Amino acid sequence: MNFLTLAFLQAAPHADPQVGAGRIVGGWEYVWAGYGISLAALVLYSLSLWFRRPRSTEPLSRTQP
Amino acid sequence: MSKAIRIGLPLLGAVTVLSGWYWGLFVAPPDREMGDVQRLMYAHVPAVWMALICSTLNFGSSLTYLFNGKSSADALAEASAEVGLLFGVYGVMLGAIWGKPTWGVYWTWDPRLTSAAVMLVAYMGYMALRKFVDDPEKRARWSAIVGILAFADIPIVWFSVRWWKSLHQIQSSPRTVDPELVLPLRWNSFGLFFVMLAFLVFRYAIARSRIREESAPPEVLSHQRVGLASTGTHR
Repeated sequence: MNFLTLAFLQAAPHADPQVGAGRIVGGWEYVWAGYGISLAALVLYSLSLWFRRPRSTEPLSRTQP
Repeated sequence: MSKAIRIGLPLLGAVTVLSGWYWGLFVAPPDREMGDVQRLMYAHVPAVWMALICSTLNFGSSLTYLFNGKSSADALAEASAEVGLLFGVYGVMLGAIWGKPTWGVYWTWDPRLTSAAVMLVAYMGYMALRKFVDDPEKRARWSAIVGILAFADIPIVWFSVRWWKSLHQIQSSPRTVDPELVLPLRWNSFGLFFVMLAFLVFRYAIARSRIREESAPPEVLSHQRVGLASTGTHR
């Protein structure tokens, strides 16, 4: 039995030792969509922080009575 | 805020994240099972990790506020909730996008996905509460309580894949993942951590500024408004 198994394994085509494209082929559109959303979220939030940033109080102190 | 933090931290985060994305998209090998779709991991996993870190920070600062009543703790709680919500929302969106080619659906009421959705709803409620309560002391106290309650979901999010049968895989470790995939994941995680720190620093400054405005006497504020109008710096 062991001999038969060994012979079968030797006869079977070997898998490429290098990692191939995977069982799921393609799917780059999902990858680009994901990275696009990430970039948009980070950039838009950075802009929102910029627009909401506290203004300097220096001009205010000059107007104090 | 020092120049090193104001400019250096966002720059460090941006450079690390962009180089990490390049590594994950074009240099790292595709996964044996998922192929190129697995490249979403380098954006999805760090985003959700940052959301969990922010939730923990919100829990700690909410607890601190209830003990010492300092406005700095309240400001940090506000900043960490908002930044965590940002990472949570887009992290979950990326998870849904990854789900379509691997599970066949964008969304399913699986334990991990459901607990993550509860987390988002809880922190949206937290932010809504902060928006609609005018009294600063009541707002800080009530939101601290809500922050502590919302944090109860975080261990459920983390352990859901171990406690129940889930479509989502259990947490990987460097022992179970090829180093060629682990290294870009770590790089991206550190990059997004720097971005998260920068966001927290800037958002904390906004929260502190608003608290100062709220606690200033009315006559000072009216003078400030006149000053802002006259100097042309009013938003």
